[in-house]
Amino acid sequence: MARQARQTPDRETAADTDRADIPAPRESRSWLWSLGIGIAILAIIGLVPLTGDQSTLSLWTFILMYCVLAQSWNFIGGFAGRAAFGNVAFFGIGAYTVSLLLLQNKPFWLGLALAPIIAGAFAFLLGLPVLRLKGHYFAIATLGVAAALGEIVQAENVGAPAGEISLTPPDLNFQISNALFFYGFLVVSLLTLLGTAWLTRTRFGYALVAIRENEQAAESLGIATYWYKVGAFVLSAIPTAIAGGLFAYWQLSFDPVGEGGAFDVTISVAMILMTFLGGAGTIIGPLLGAIIIEYLDQSTSIAFTSIHGPLLGALIILVTIFLPQGLVRLVQELLRSPAGVKQSYPMRIKQGVQRVTRFILSNGV
Amino acid sequence: MSHASSYPTASSAETSAQGEAETPLLELVRVTRRFGGLPAVEDLSFGVRRGEVLGMIGPNGAGKSTVISLIGGALAPSEGTVHFQGQDITRLSPHKRARLGIARTFQVTQPFAQLDIRDNVIVGALFSGHTRNRREASEQADAVLARVGLIGKAHLKGDELTVADRKRLEMARALAMRPQLLLLDEVMAGLTPREVGEAVRIIREINQSGVTVLVVEHVMRAITGVSDRILVLHHGRKIAEDAPDAVLSDPRVVEAYLGERYARERAAQQARLAQQVGGAPLPAEQVSAPDEADEPGEGHES
Amino acid sequence: MAQYVVNWILLGCFYAAIGVGFSLIWGIMNIVNLAQGSLIIIGGYAAYFSYTLLHINPFLCILVSMVVGFIVGYIIQYLIINRVIRAPILVTFMLTFGLDLLLSNVMQAIFTGGYRSINTTYSSAAVNLLGAHIPLLNVAVAVIAVGLTALLSLFLSRTRLGNAILAVGMDREAAQLMGIGVANTYALTFGIGSALAGAAGAMLAMTLQFSPIFTGQYTLFAFVIVALGGLGTPWAALAGGMLFALAEVFGPLFPGFGHGPEIGYGLEIAIAFVVLVLVLIVRPNGVLGRPFYS
Repeated sequence: MARQARQTPDRETAADTDRADIPAPRESRSWLWSLGIGIAILAIIGLVPLTGDQSTLSLWTFILMYCVLAQSWNFIGGFAGRAAFGNVAFFGIGAYTVSLLLLQNKPFWLGLALAPIIAGAFAFLLGLPVLRLKGHYFAIATLGVAAALGEIVQAENVGAPAGEISLTPPDLNFQISNALFFYGFLVVSLLTLLGTAWLTRTRFGYALVAIRENEQAAESLGIATYWYKVGAFVLSAIPTAIAGGLFAYWQLSFDPVGEGGAFDVTISVAMILMTFLGGAGTIIGPLLGAIIIEYLDQSTSIAFTSIHGPLLGALIILVTIFLPQGLVRLVQELLRSPAGVKQSYPMRIKQGVQRVTRFILSNGV
Repeated sequence: MSHASSYPTASSAETSAQGEAETPLLELVRVTRRFGGLPAVEDLSFGVRRGEVLGMIGPNGAGKSTVISLIGGALAPSEGTVHFQGQDITRLSPHKRARLGIARTFQVTQPFAQLDIRDNVIVGALFSGHTRNRREASEQADAVLARVGLIGKAHLKGDELTVADRKRLEMARALAMRPQLLLLDEVMAGLTPREVGEAVRIIREINQSGVTVLVVEHVMRAITGVSDRILVLHHGRKIAEDAPDAVLSDPRVVEAYLGERYARERAAQQARLAQQVGGAPLPAEQVSAPDEADEPGEGHES
Repeated sequence: MAQYVVNWILLGCFYAAIGVGFSLIWGIMNIVNLAQGSLIIIGGYAAYFSYTLLHINPFLCILVSMVVGFIVGYIIQYLIINRVIRAPILVTFMLTFGLDLLLSNVMQAIFTGGYRSINTTYSSAAVNLLGAHIPLLNVAVAVIAVGLTALLSLFLSRTRLGNAILAVGMDREAAQLMGIGVANTYALTFGIGSALAGAAGAMLAMTLQFSPIFTGQYTLFAFVIVALGGLGTPWAALAGGMLFALAEVFGPLFPGFGHGPEIGYGLEIAIAFVVLVLVLIVRPNGVLGRPFYS
């Protein structure tokens, strides 16, 4: 006799705990909700080109690009819990792969298809040594690799003197071209979203989360932690590289280093911040974080891919102190009712606030 | 065949291979482990027979947890070898040993804090090699949770449990692996007497279903109640390995573990009882130990 | 050749100054202080303005920079970093990064990104020995840097306060049980690390030049220096500094290398990173290092 999924069990008594015939509590359906909300958000954003306004279109294209970046980082940083600070390297690899092929008059789609493959291979080879490093060292090593790549591209004049790429625009009407790139990013974001949701249902996803929560315990349970980490790293490289490729042909002109460069470390930090703000390891967290932060940035400055230094800095400080778990988890905490007890929403929120405050304080000295 | 019994059993293929009945399931051969210059475990050799419950006791700092880590693979020996099912596993990583059928719990519990209990146990079921299917793992997890009495709390998060429940979760997670050898590292530390009794019952059931168990404990009473044999460690060396009665009466053990004063008191007590009953000294279990409070405190540095 | 050796020694000692504060903060609190570069530059400005506005002797400016650095560092740790000190390291990592971003940009906004330096009549005084041109100011700076390293080492091992800092670094809970105020000790540690950064900044102002645009550069250098030398003792920063200076000074002898100890040019940074990554893989505890201060 299985109870219907939606019923909540009565308040449990001590005797209940040991009875073997209590039906298991219902499977969490929150992932479906998250996925649905995420798709809805993207669908709504998808209406932007209908306004015909080019600057709005540009704004939201940037937002979507960062959505892809944050969602990809989520694989290694959110699910596997590893502080990868250099994912912009994959972005740059994607941008330069596409650019180099275009400069040799090869089709765009070829570059776009090759970019994730090259970036993925790079992630694999890089991950092998670097994922053996602990915490800080891994972070700095990845950061270093990304910065070094940028410097090397610049010094070796890859694709152009000082790596400053300049491409000829596609043979299309300007507005149509912009709309196409918009939808390109949208599609990649949607696919990454689906991939993230799917990940939470798979064995692979369980392994990553276990590694994040407690790597030693995970290993003792039979998880080959090293290889799963490498897998997550490679996974995070793929959409990032595609985004880089799209970026290259969309912007047509960019540098390897400096503000807004293809290997700009600030981009790396931005994707981390966005994921954290939204909720690392959640399905729609990165999406939300990217939208919020990139919108804020774009509307407070005229710079393009860069994020205002002080704004970013202040945001980082605030988020790490007050919102380390991210928005999605904050909302979940506020709406949660304790085991088996149905509570009114005001009550839940009040207790949720208490819990969250306690958590924030527990991070302090 | 879905779960005929509500309890995961060791694969039946193993128990029918009687030809291997004589080879110990687990064997340590002259294992030494040093940290810096100090040996935590020194020249240790012993075997765990298939189907038995081997208890391991010793005062704080005796090296018990180090032994568990050496078997589980978290530590590699400085010298010596470890064998499982006749195979040399000294060089194998922890996850490979888990795949072979060795499961361990941690003395300081290591739950997956942000996951609910069910997911915690599902992880245990998914990676030890007998199922890769999430639904099946989920069912097995529920069965195991029911066995250890946590099914009603399955939706709580790992870090929301009481100490006793955390220990149960550790066990459940290890059990979900359907191990051949289960290493329990002080699962009874910090439990009330009633909870200890529960734990003993669960361990007995686990063993009866075919799992070989190595129990490291500090609580004397519990371990004598559950072990077929007991191994005593002191300063990283084995000082006794025998049936519980023999071990508890072994004067070296008594002195090392409980101190000289207790040794004398116990000898006097036994003599008195022998006089009263007019015969041989009583089995160890019936002779009361001094107040539990006099025992060395619950430490965390076995 | 003698010139190279001289350059190497002088640069190595200077680098020790850059790394030693960073090493202290990391070793005791397990914080990789990505804002170290900003703190160094703050020290530079403190020295610069003390000299140009208040006409304080440049060597005393070092002292001023240290005081300013200490105050700034203490406040930062006490008010901000202490809020996340028990969170996973990625969180503190991000926090110090955000701090650096904030400080660096605020300085750029206030002071502009232009290069500053302290130029005195004796700035280019030098001695010629064994065919090597030895700038005396750099010698003085090197001596001071080594002196500071020695002072820190003595402070940690011989004074009560220093011992308290070491205790907190080794075992926070135990230190708390002994009544050592952890919050204040952390703030003190960060303050000292920051003071040392300030000193490095002042020295930078005297011997070279500085700009708030390059805070990240100096943080990176500090990181490489500490990664090379290891944690565990202030002298490890000296070892790391010498090693790093070795690569920088003798590197240009090899084809394909970038320029000398200039800032931000050529493949230097790339090579620094590659060396760093290799060192991390091969010898994660650095040359002299142990995992923690002791």
